[in-house]
Parts: sequence; C-alpha cells; structure tokens
Amino acid sequence: MLKGEVIIDEALCQGCGYCVKFCPRGCIAITGDKFTPQGYLLPTVIKPDECKPCGVCAMLCPAAAIEVYKFETEVVA
Amino acid sequence: MSQGGRLEDAMNEEVKVVTKQRVAGRPKLLVPQIAGFIYCPGCHEPLAARAIAEVLEKLGMGDRAIGVFDIGCNSFLLGMLDIDAVLTPHGRPPDMATGVKRVYPDNIVFTVQGDGGLLSIGADPLLGALTRAEKITIIMLNNAVYGTTGGQMAPTSLEGQVTTTTPNGRDLARTGFPTHAAEMIATFRGVAYSARGAFNTPKNYMRTRKYITSAFQKQMDNVGLSFVEIICACPENWRLSPIDSLKWIEEKMIPEFPLGEFKNVDRIE
Repeated sequence: MLKGEVIIDEALCQGCGYCVKFCPRGCIAITGDKFTPQGYLLPTVIKPDECKPCGVCAMLCPAAAIEVYKFETEVVA
Repeated sequence: MSQGGRLEDAMNEEVKVVTKQRVAGRPKLLVPQIAGFIYCPGCHEPLAARAIAEVLEKLGMGDRAIGVFDIGCNSFLLGMLDIDAVLTPHGRPPDMATGVKRVYPDNIVFTVQGDGGLLSIGADPLLGALTRAEKITIIMLNNAVYGTTGGQMAPTSLEGQVTTTTPNGRDLARTGFPTHAAEMIATFRGVAYSARGAFNTPKNYMRTRKYITSAFQKQMDNVGLSFVEIICACPENWRLSPIDSLKWIEEKMIPEFPLGEFKNVDRIE
C-alpha cells in the first residue's frame, strides 16, 4: 500500500538535483535516461513504496515543480 | 438461509475509503512558470520567493503585502509573487519602501535586494532608512557576486574568491574585506530585528522562514526596521554544480557569515 505520491512536473523541472540530495530515504534519483522538454535531466521516483510523504523534496524545489500527496485510509462501516 | 448469511457478511464487511491529501507543494502566492524558465538551475532566489510566499500565506497578509524590488535577478520576483509590487532604480528600494509605508501604514512593505544593490550601490538609501528607523523589512540575498551582470566582485565576496573582475582571487590588501550586513545593521538603534539565514539544508530553510516571519511580525507590531540576510547559491557564477554550490556554502560562506539572530527587541528605547 502506497503511503504517498510525489508528482514532478516535467515542464517546470530544471534538473538541479536538490530533491535527490535532500530526500531522507533516497526515493528520488536522476536515472540519466529521461529528459524534460527543456532538455534537463529529469529526476524520477525510483522507490515509491519507501516514500513517507514528508514533503522535503517539494519544500526545497526552486522551480516549485513538485507536489506531494498523502494517502489516508479511513474505515467507514 | 444461505442468502441471509451472505447479506450479513456484506453488512459486516469493512468499507475502506482512501483519501488523497496534499502534504507539500507550490504556495498559492507563487507563480511557478517564472522560476522554471528565467532562473538558472539550482538558483536559490526562487526559494527566497517561495519562503516569502509561504510566510505571507501563514500570516494571512497576501492581499496586504507590497514588495519593493531592485534591479537584478530579484526583479523577477515582480512576476513570481502574486502580490502588489514596485520596481525601483538600482539600489533605491529603501527610499521607495519609505514612501509606500508612510502612505499605507497598515500594509506589510518589504524590499528584496541583492548584496551589491544594498551594500555598494544602495548603501546611501540603506543608511537613510536605518537612521530614520523606518518601519519596513529589508531582505538581502547574499550570493557573494553580482549575479545578473556576469559574476563580478561584490562587497560580500570572500577572500581568494575567483570572480570575473578578480581572476586571481580576491586580494584583501587591495580590495578590502567582506561586508557583514546583518551584524552592521544590528548596531543601529532604530533596528528591531536582524538575522542571517541560508537555504543549503532543509533545517536552514525552515529557520530562515522563521526569521522572515519574525521580521514581518516586528513590522506588523510597529516596532522598527527589520532586516534578514539570506545566503543564496549562484551556481552559474560560482562555476559549480548546484550540489557542489551547497557544499561551498557550508564550507566557505557560513564560516565567514555565521547564521543566527543578531538583534531581536520588542521595544526601541
């Protein structure tokens, strides 16, 4: 069960690598085979299962390209 | 019998609803397109804009904030922050902010300037505003070079730093010493708050955001002038990669420019 989701906007990302550097669990990496429309290296979420959505990657993204969501399961009945 | 049992099972079955909540992302007052297309990769100035936007959102003053911006990379904050703003001649934001604050005393008036714009070209307007103890907030982005014009030596350049005007490194005997703005401004009587922050780690980012909050709070409480200096990376003009520039801040900039609060008073006597 995924705890969170990290969405990187390809159109805004500049490939600086701060999200890779600051992710405390090493979930994000620049794999080297994906590029943004502007031609920068695109980081991807390589370990989505280990993400405990803390939001540090989004907080220090200079281009404001990252949105982080948290999944919460509620028992209704 | 069997039908009834099935119905009972269906009644007892737990229904799980998964909700999706936003944890972090772009503040509402920030227009993202500008950051992605105008600034160099790894620049810390969009982070300064982001910190200001988050603080204004938290204080609920987004519609009552007026930004006064200088010539330089910080000019693009004009389009990046969704607030009222003015662009001034180079080095003159403290003068413009004085006028704006005296006409609109209930609004938050803040300037964002670079180190060259505030300490060399704009030193006279700064001294005037400090002497008059204007109730404004000055935010200085210190990247140790003139970023917009191509990396010339600035008043805050470090000893031995290679810039386009000091190709052999800054010689202290010839060009003097780096200016410490936060310590200097803390010595003025009309100053209520003076601090220095950085954006090189998540912890420092959050601390700097707290400093900006305190500075705006001093202005809202009508205490005196508040000042925040922020150490920003300029990977393009330092000739480093974004990750190496974070290391350079840690190893070179922070030992020369220590972080912390230098003045925090509730009343000026």
